[in-house]
Amino acid sequence: MGARGTEGIRESEVVLQFAAETKRALEAQGFQVLMTREGNDNPSFDDRSARVNAQRGAIFITLHIASTGLPGTVRTYVMQDFPRAIESPGLIQWDRAQAPFLGLSHKLGDLVQAELAKKFRGSPPNAEAAPVRQLRTTAAPAIAVEVSSVSVQQRSELDRMIPGVAEAIARGVAAFRPSYVVPGMPGMNPVTQP
Amino acid sequence: MNSKWQFWASAVLFVAVMGAAIYFPSLRKQVYKARDITEKTAEQARRELLPPAPMNSGDPLVRAKLYWGSRDRDGSLLPVTVELPLSSDPVLRAKQILNTLLAGPVDPQERTLPPDAALLAFYVLPDGTGVADFSEGLATGIPSGIQSEQLAVDSITHTLQANVPQVQRLKILIHGQEADTLAGHLDLTQAFQVSMKDGGAPTTSGVSILTAPIQKAIEKVKGGSKKK
Repeated sequence: MGARGTEGIRESEVVLQFAAETKRALEAQGFQVLMTREGNDNPSFDDRSARVNAQRGAIFITLHIASTGLPGTVRTYVMQDFPRAIESPGLIQWDRAQAPFLGLSHKLGDLVQAELAKKFRGSPPNAEAAPVRQLRTTAAPAIAVEVSSVSVQQRSELDRMIPGVAEAIARGVAAFRPSYVVPGMPGMNPVTQP
Repeated sequence: MNSKWQFWASAVLFVAVMGAAIYFPSLRKQVYKARDITEKTAEQARRELLPPAPMNSGDPLVRAKLYWGSRDRDGSLLPVTVELPLSSDPVLRAKQILNTLLAGPVDPQERTLPPDAALLAFYVLPDGTGVADFSEGLATGIPSGIQSEQLAVDSITHTLQANVPQVQRLKILIHGQEADTLAGHLDLTQAFQVSMKDGGAPTTSGVSILTAPIQKAIEKVKGGSKKK
């Protein structure tokens, strides 16, 4: 599954290494990390969201390796605005679970992207908004980080980026922590620290 | 005897290596050339099967703005101004403009949509939602990734915004069906905003050109109407 480069580099394989290193970097900052996949299994979007939405005070990061883009750059994405809808208190509106968390997701995304831009020249300074399917059903501050790209000539070019990406994500998340007041129940709407 | 044999073996090996070194680059060129030809042939076959872009030479020539990718691979779009005979009917006009977008720019690096993708149908609902039904080639041919999928959708929405103001939102179907994602990342279950409230379309001024496939399409239309 996922992107595949001209040199045979597979997103699904490389991204696990990025995830493992990011897990280590986050744990070093004192965070508890749960992975939605550890091997070649491919849980559905909803399976992943269900796992996140059952956690209290979680944030969600989905990692990707792009097929295109300027090699050596990294972009962070947050879900774009939702059309207005009637909120039903107490229940997670699955199709728009991300809606109450958009402000926090933007803040998290900008903090992570600022760290990534310091390490990877040519990366944009801020997070970008995009309708990423995985983010839509996630009831937590959520971002997607996409590394460019599987089209590099050598796999080692991507491998060299792993520690920098992991460290930048961990720093961004650590900077975000004070602004996130954990809701009382899983899936409850968040409270933002002024 | 043994050293003579070694000498000849080394000589043959040397000649073989040198021959391969000379032949290999030209072989690679031939392979790339053959691949290009195959791609073009597949695209031509698809276009022959589909009804041609309904361009009518009686329609007035309009300076249409098409959004293709930047050559810098930085995920941005650049508007290109093209003179096209466009219908005043929004559905027909959207079909004409999207078929031209699918035909692609001269430089394949600027392409935002896969060459095997085709527009199967286009409707405009009374609330201003345009429904574009693309062939499976759109989902299977697009490079997987948030950036590339977003670029593809942006090139469609920005092009519609610039040329078909009646379309305010866009719903993308794949082969008549609602799809969860475009190629694994971008959400296709919702409609995309076409009319930009924040001036989101790129503002960089484009180059006014008539790309080769468009020129051919126009000539074909003109030739067809003369025959009649």
